[in-house]
Amino acid sequence: MQNLCSVGKRVPKLDAVDKATGRVKYIQDLKVAGMLYGKILYSKYAHAKIVKINTTRARELPGVLAVLTGDDIPDIRMGVYKDNRPLKKEKVCSFRDEVAAVAATSPEIAEAALKRIEVTYEALPAIFDPEAAMKEGAPLIHEAHKTNVLKMPWKLHYGDVEAAKKEAAHTVEDRFTTTWVTHCCMGTSGAIADFDPANNLTIHTNTQIPSLAQKDFLEALKTMGISDRRVRVVKPCIGGGFGSKLDTYAYEYIAILLAFHTRRPVKIEFDRTEEFIATSTRQPTITHISQGCDQNGKLLFRDIAMILDNGAYTSWGATTPSVMMMPITTLYRVPNVRYEAKCVYTNNTYAQAMRGYGNPQATYAIESTMDMLAEAAGIDPVEFRRINANQPGDVSTQGLRITTCGLTECMHAVKEKLEWDRPRQAGEGIGMASLIHVGGGARVYKSDGCGTIIKMDDFGKIDLFTGATDMGQGSDTVIAQIVAEELGLEVDDIHVIHTDTDVCPWDVGSHASRTTFIAGNAALGAARKLKARILEMGAKLLESPLEKLNLQGRHIVHQDDAEKKMAIGKVLRKAHFSHGGQMLMAEHFYDPANENMGKDFRGNMSMTYTFGTHGVRVKVDEETGKVEILQYVAAHDVGKAINPLLLEGQVYGGVMMGVGYALTEQVISEKGQNMNPNFRDYKILTAKDVVPIKAPVLETYDEDGPFGAKGIGEPGCVPTAPAIANAIYDAVGVRIKELPITPERVLAAIREKKGLDLCGQAVDKGDADECIIEE
Amino acid sequence: MRQFTYLTPKTLDEAISLHVAHGESARYVAGGTDVLVKIKEGKFAPDYLISLKHIIGQDRPFLNQETGELYIGAFCTHGSIEQSPLVQHHYPIIHDAVKNIGSVQIRNVATIGGNLVNAVPSADGAIPLIVLDSKANIYGTKGQRSVDLQRFFLGPGQCDLEAGEILTEIVIPPPLPRTGSAYIKHGRREAMELPMLGVGVLLCLEEDMTTCAKARICLGVAAPTPFRALAAEKYLKGKTVDENNLTEAGRLAGQESKVRDSIRGVAWYRREMVGVLVKRMGLKALERAKERHK
Repeated sequence: MQNLCSVGKRVPKLDAVDKATGRVKYIQDLKVAGMLYGKILYSKYAHAKIVKINTTRARELPGVLAVLTGDDIPDIRMGVYKDNRPLKKEKVCSFRDEVAAVAATSPEIAEAALKRIEVTYEALPAIFDPEAAMKEGAPLIHEAHKTNVLKMPWKLHYGDVEAAKKEAAHTVEDRFTTTWVTHCCMGTSGAIADFDPANNLTIHTNTQIPSLAQKDFLEALKTMGISDRRVRVVKPCIGGGFGSKLDTYAYEYIAILLAFHTRRPVKIEFDRTEEFIATSTRQPTITHISQGCDQNGKLLFRDIAMILDNGAYTSWGATTPSVMMMPITTLYRVPNVRYEAKCVYTNNTYAQAMRGYGNPQATYAIESTMDMLAEAAGIDPVEFRRINANQPGDVSTQGLRITTCGLTECMHAVKEKLEWDRPRQAGEGIGMASLIHVGGGARVYKSDGCGTIIKMDDFGKIDLFTGATDMGQGSDTVIAQIVAEELGLEVDDIHVIHTDTDVCPWDVGSHASRTTFIAGNAALGAARKLKARILEMGAKLLESPLEKLNLQGRHIVHQDDAEKKMAIGKVLRKAHFSHGGQMLMAEHFYDPANENMGKDFRGNMSMTYTFGTHGVRVKVDEETGKVEILQYVAAHDVGKAINPLLLEGQVYGGVMMGVGYALTEQVISEKGQNMNPNFRDYKILTAKDVVPIKAPVLETYDEDGPFGAKGIGEPGCVPTAPAIANAIYDAVGVRIKELPITPERVLAAIREKKGLDLCGQAVDKGDADECIIEE
Repeated sequence: MRQFTYLTPKTLDEAISLHVAHGESARYVAGGTDVLVKIKEGKFAPDYLISLKHIIGQDRPFLNQETGELYIGAFCTHGSIEQSPLVQHHYPIIHDAVKNIGSVQIRNVATIGGNLVNAVPSADGAIPLIVLDSKANIYGTKGQRSVDLQRFFLGPGQCDLEAGEILTEIVIPPPLPRTGSAYIKHGRREAMELPMLGVGVLLCLEEDMTTCAKARICLGVAAPTPFRALAAEKYLKGKTVDENNLTEAGRLAGQESKVRDSIRGVAWYRREMVGVLVKRMGLKALERAKERHK
């Protein structure tokens, strides 16, 4: 192993001090001269015809410069299915539908103007249950689409599941459901749109996809009749992404439209209520699953049919089955797999990418039934997983090529750290669940690439321009460490610039845990090119053979001759300040050799896969149904920990997001309306709820990764819910198949198991209605 | 957010005269953790906010040496009550409640008086004070008056305050001998949480240290206002305090409570938790009574 100076070190996040002292500028802090404030009017119905919108009184208000409705704007289409418009026309399909927008000289005036807009609706029958929405005669959300089922054929069948079912010695079958949860970024959404006189657009916006957003906005401009102009996307400091910023949204287009109409910069900034109501959630799922194994516990088949509540419009949530296919086909060795997912329109809110991208939902069903199957087969659940664990060199039915794989080692680490075999007290239980996730990029688009430009100044300092987006995860720090390592510099010598499409190269987006791997490799490639040139110059200046020279401690050094060294800054000054000088700058575009999914969804989507196992010890209060987490161990095979400090942060954060998903978080939706759009009633966990987490790291050194690293952004929240559900079963013998696992659900299940009704009375002969549940 | 003028009277009389002067366009504010939220939500739209935080003398708990009563000024922050050795030592039930209100930051500005006059069914601060038979001192243009805290709450968001009147302090009777009390907030997380249910129990024992001489059971979020479970209290009186009798008292309290379904919890579960938590707080109160008697 190499002797590393920067990589592998616990380097604090480069922006930590600025963030802690309030110096960084979020979208909330930004102002542009002459800026107006935009506000959006949302629907009052889940499903209704827009009969008439009267904006006269709003326009009359002094300080109002524009009022727009769906009739005032061109047919801009948004989202993967192009079924959404920035302002709705003719009808609304959910409560978060944007109906009108105002630009005014102050937020207060804009708000007051919204109240003066009169909208006449004619209510339409609405539908909120995806299973009901699939039925014949259900009200159609989009009439032109003719059906509520999206025409996205998420369907695969590898091997022969029916034959395997006949062969199986043990089979389990069940239904699992998950509900809406939301990203809860500390920084709420916002954008400032600004046209110059020639109609070039600058947009300051929170996005994880600057290059793709640029393309989306250019298309919108074209629809607005503006062609051949430039769009510059500038990112402020982003207060959290978690997938929420992987699409472009109505509010961004509305800011653009208002700016275009008023010829002034327009800012739209969400308050917390709006953030809860008008941004997208994790994809809710209904999963029917069966799995079977042979006498010896070897998995024979996995059969999954899933229904996804798509909501009223389509964003990336509808494509999460593409990622779910990975755990469904490849979490453990399973020779016969069938999977079908249907995305169904309803009048609910629509879903978006969220950390794990469908993987947590799929893994909840898979890992819960893994425990059930182990029990049916009479095999210890850890042993059962060991028997079926993926191994290096495996190629799964879907064609995923497993390179490095520390899954078995992760299970061992969990067993050891959790003291798995320790005797358990009454009400105490342990559970385990594992994960696979893309760790070496993910080819979801035609490209999985990222560009980097690197230049060195006269003093040996680096400016590095990357396409990657740091939205709090710390990618700037990781990239700086990688480059510092390669060039023999200090981390502080590297200035990472990622904020502006005018200067930063192209990137497909910060998603799929790809940034360390992809942007890291891109930065490494650029650094290597620069290094070669520095060494070449050094060889001449030091009159030494090139292969004897290296970069170390900000110097070019000779391996064998300590006298022969020169500060890198000096080399640079000589390069710049001389006749026939040269500029030290390099670029590199890294696009990995992974594959798009083929027709039957086969294809090695990632260069490598990250594995992990989570284990948890819980205590269940049998009288209240409350679950207390006593210990949590999250072991991951990360290839190589570039920065163990940030890595632990990702794992801790992921686990707490997962614990919230498992136990407390839900958007409470009543007939399509968000009933808890605030942190009081949306039960995200707090600092006081943080559970004791151990995060053992296994380094398998993946040769495709920068310094051996794999991606670790998402895995922390993937197997959390099933690990907890399995521990609850171990503790009190009830299996909760619906998230979140609330005390009510646990207590109801405990009572049902004991043959009692909800009020703790014995259930027999019509006695049940003694239990009066008061409205 | 709506603009307002912030007034900072130094005495109660000054505060009241400001209120008289501005009438309905004025509102009192102490910590502001409820009032400002409501202004932001558009539920209040005052032109004047009259701050009560600059009034001297009502900002920390003190013991009346003659009567043995504990006075808690209405403008005491939850934080100052939480840290008061007097409260911790003599009235641990109050400590049980205030230490889990909101967060450290909230407790450092929010006041007990504000918690009470806000009069929401989930007010954590009210339950222990009712269990302790506290009185509320109120001051207004007509002078001072005193009401049993239990009668102070009239409905959700409504309390017994005339226009311009100020809740000035809570008076808690001296601790009874052979007595213990305890409060629990039942919620879904450890901070920034409104109770799904709040349960406070006080038990005063006979000299035999096993028979219940007096019981107080008060429930939060179990009715539109803090709710005394009188049938359960009556059941316990004269009975041996043990797990069986407390279980029965809990069952009775659950039965008489007026729990309902809301997004924060369902009625059946709340009723069941009344049973479980009355029993648990009863056992804790018993333990505390015994500890103090040693």
